Amino acid sequence: MAPKSNSKTTVPDYKNIPHSHRLPVTHREVQRTFGKLSRHSLISLAQQWLAKKNRDFCRPYLLSDRDDDDEEEEDEQYTPAQSCEELQEIYKELAARKGGKREIQDRILEGDWRKGISMYQLATAEIQYLLDHPNSLRWTAKRLARIPNAKSAVLDMEVTNDSEHLPRFQAQTFMSNLSRELTPLMKAHYLLTKIKTLPMTILRVYIHDSPYSTEASLATDNSSPDSAKSVFFIWPNGSPFVYSSIANHLGQVISDDGRHLRDIVQQAIPKAFSRPSARYQLASTNFTTKSLDALLTYRGPGKSNAAAGGWSVFQDHSFSQNALDFITSQRGDAHEKKGADQETSAGATKQGPGRPKRTLEDTETSEAKRRREVAEGRFGTSAKPNDGRGLERFEVRIDDSFPQSRTSADGNNDVDTSDLSARPSNHNRRGRPSLLDRSLEEIEELGDSESWVPDVRAVFQGSHVFAGIRQLVEQGVVDGEKMPGWMTGEAGVTIGAVKEGRIRTKKGTVPGV
Amino acid sequence: MATIEDFDTEIADIHTRIATLQAHRANLTSILLSQPHLPARLQQRPVLHERKRRSAAKFVEAQSKRNLENVYRACAGVTAYKVKDPDPYAVDNGNVLGVRVEVSIGGTFIETYHVLFNRPNAKQRNILKIHKHTIPPCIPLHPLANKWLPITRKDADATMEQSLVKFGRSLRKELVSWHLRQEALEKLRTEAGLGNKATQPEEDKPDTSIGKVLNAFVSDDEESEDEEEMRTARDGAVKITDIEGDMAVRELTITWSNGNTGALRVTKDGEIDKAVFRSRDGLRESAMERKAEGRIEGLVQRLTT
Repeated sequence: MAPKSNSKTTVPDYKNIPHSHRLPVTHREVQRTFGKLSRHSLISLAQQWLAKKNRDFCRPYLLSDRDDDDEEEEDEQYTPAQSCEELQEIYKELAARKGGKREIQDRILEGDWRKGISMYQLATAEIQYLLDHPNSLRWTAKRLARIPNAKSAVLDMEVTNDSEHLPRFQAQTFMSNLSRELTPLMKAHYLLTKIKTLPMTILRVYIHDSPYSTEASLATDNSSPDSAKSVFFIWPNGSPFVYSSIANHLGQVISDDGRHLRDIVQQAIPKAFSRPSARYQLASTNFTTKSLDALLTYRGPGKSNAAAGGWSVFQDHSFSQNALDFITSQRGDAHEKKGADQETSAGATKQGPGRPKRTLEDTETSEAKRRREVAEGRFGTSAKPNDGRGLERFEVRIDDSFPQSRTSADGNNDVDTSDLSARPSNHNRRGRPSLLDRSLEEIEELGDSESWVPDVRAVFQGSHVFAGIRQLVEQGVVDGEKMPGWMTGEAGVTIGAVKEGRIRTKKGTVPGV
Repeated sequence: MATIEDFDTEIADIHTRIATLQAHRANLTSILLSQPHLPARLQQRPVLHERKRRSAAKFVEAQSKRNLENVYRACAGVTAYKVKDPDPYAVDNGNVLGVRVEVSIGGTFIETYHVLFNRPNAKQRNILKIHKHTIPPCIPLHPLANKWLPITRKDADATMEQSLVKFGRSLRKELVSWHLRQEALEKLRTEAGLGNKATQPEEDKPDTSIGKVLNAFVSDDEESEDEEEMRTARDGAVKITDIEGDMAVRELTITWSNGNTGALRVTKDGEIDKAVFRSRDGLRESAMERKAEGRIEGLVQRLTT
């Protein structure tokens, strides 16, 4: 049963908010979250909640619940069902036929769960929305880095038969450690889910800024400004990275309060991972994006982390064929385009239904073709407009000294001047210092050198920055051969400092780990 | 009446036939080009056009190069190659040394990994630094590089020895053992009758859940559905309902139909060195734990007998 007696106690306590605590359906968070979801997602969520293993946390309003308190509601729109099985049937029928999304939303909020939406339901609904719209939030990728211990530094780097170099993720231990860190500071509801469709684990923390963990205190929304209340963390499986994001609804500002609370949770995460003799901290990886797919590509569990941009040919099999693949005629064609007739025809058919492709090639001028090949060489198989791995903002600071006599800077100038319009927007947000501001050591380093190094920054913005640069190369706006490597995205960062045409990296680090 | 669909299927059929024939022709081409005495014959015999002879010789050469490369790759497992960094600002004029690691399991080459090195130090030309790579993060690349390819600091006096061969060897060992563990886990799953992980999502389409909630602690009196199904066969043998491993397959989690769970630790060479089994009510099952220790292969047999 719903813990009714609990709602009367108002003593501050040290408990997490349980899954089964309910928010009233009129609550702002509930309304917002459910308003965003599609019909299909709402139905599948309802079916999930009605599954036997979840019923504890998502009790629907059934006929048997009615007789005790609210007998008088006879004009209700949705008659409560007899049992969960009956409800399951109803939702199955709803799923089978077409209809509006509003119908389902009303049925859930005013009918079957009129008594309130549990924290579990709200959390699963928000995660569902996140999976439906993987570009809806802005994510920052961090890395769980081991704090070097002077005593065991050599031991930490040892690779033996049973050594581990990644923090071990054990759900129960992690959750109890995390809540031990956080409960003295705030009350929170946690939902930790291993996603089936993507290789990652999501933690959603609903922050309840109150000393009480009761249902009644949840319902009273005392945070006067409309601020985001939940924070997401994602662990891609088998990698040291953590992505974090504040789940703000569209148009909702992220207040300083929200950011502060997120930082508290964020600080607790490495502590929850740490064990005696293995302490972790979160290190920045200079990577922020909205696209979950891009995150999984650049900071994910796979092969692509340290082979971005033109190096992408190494991670798919376009660079080296299978070791037992002896057929040369298809691949060799790509290099020797001017080969015999027989060979070119083999090349055209390689691209599937090749006819339209060939006619297009014929009309192409040799110059355009050369540019396309240059772009192919620089970007490899990456930076395609529709690959869903678009980075929407890429920011660099040029750290070279002022009079650039090198002719190769021409390629840059094009972009730099076009970007001047973007500068004012940069000035507007004076509030927070940019990550690109020079650190004290860097200023010191610059002071030593003779030449003047102005603070030049370039910001690239768009739906898919590197695909855009690739198109500029193909159109001849940017010289593909003289373009520095960071413009292809091969550095795998969204923010960085460029010196001598290369993104600066820390000494002694291996990229992508 | 021939409908549009009929034409479409016919066209699709022809397309697939063309594709097969082309694959066949490509195969035959490479066989022909690999003939041992072909270059000599091309030189000796008279031909109508000298240009065609030259182009034919080029193809033969390309094929023999490929054959040689493949033989090395297939036999050595770790091979090196040179590539050019197209970045005009690349260190060392864009000279890049690539190391390729082949992983073969069950008679096929299943994956190729690359590590690309550059020479950041203009003076010490034999110091290599990892530039790019395609090694997944669950492989300890950084510790390995730290051990075998230490970078000498500018202020340090003594130069550190680098050993690319040892690095390649230990990296290959890590990669192959990882794939072998994955393979072993798949085998365990099939032995336990759990079906292939890759095909599973398609099969259970009515299951709409987004994933597995890890911190949902269900109260005792209500069971999940699949557990209830199992309960009908309660008198029979208790079945394994799930075997899961983490990405690196260093940790396995086993779930039984009677609510028992087991967590096992696997070493890199596939030995189970630690195991903890608990029954529903949280009691340790030391008999099971003793049984579990040993090779990862045959774990299911050891536990079920």
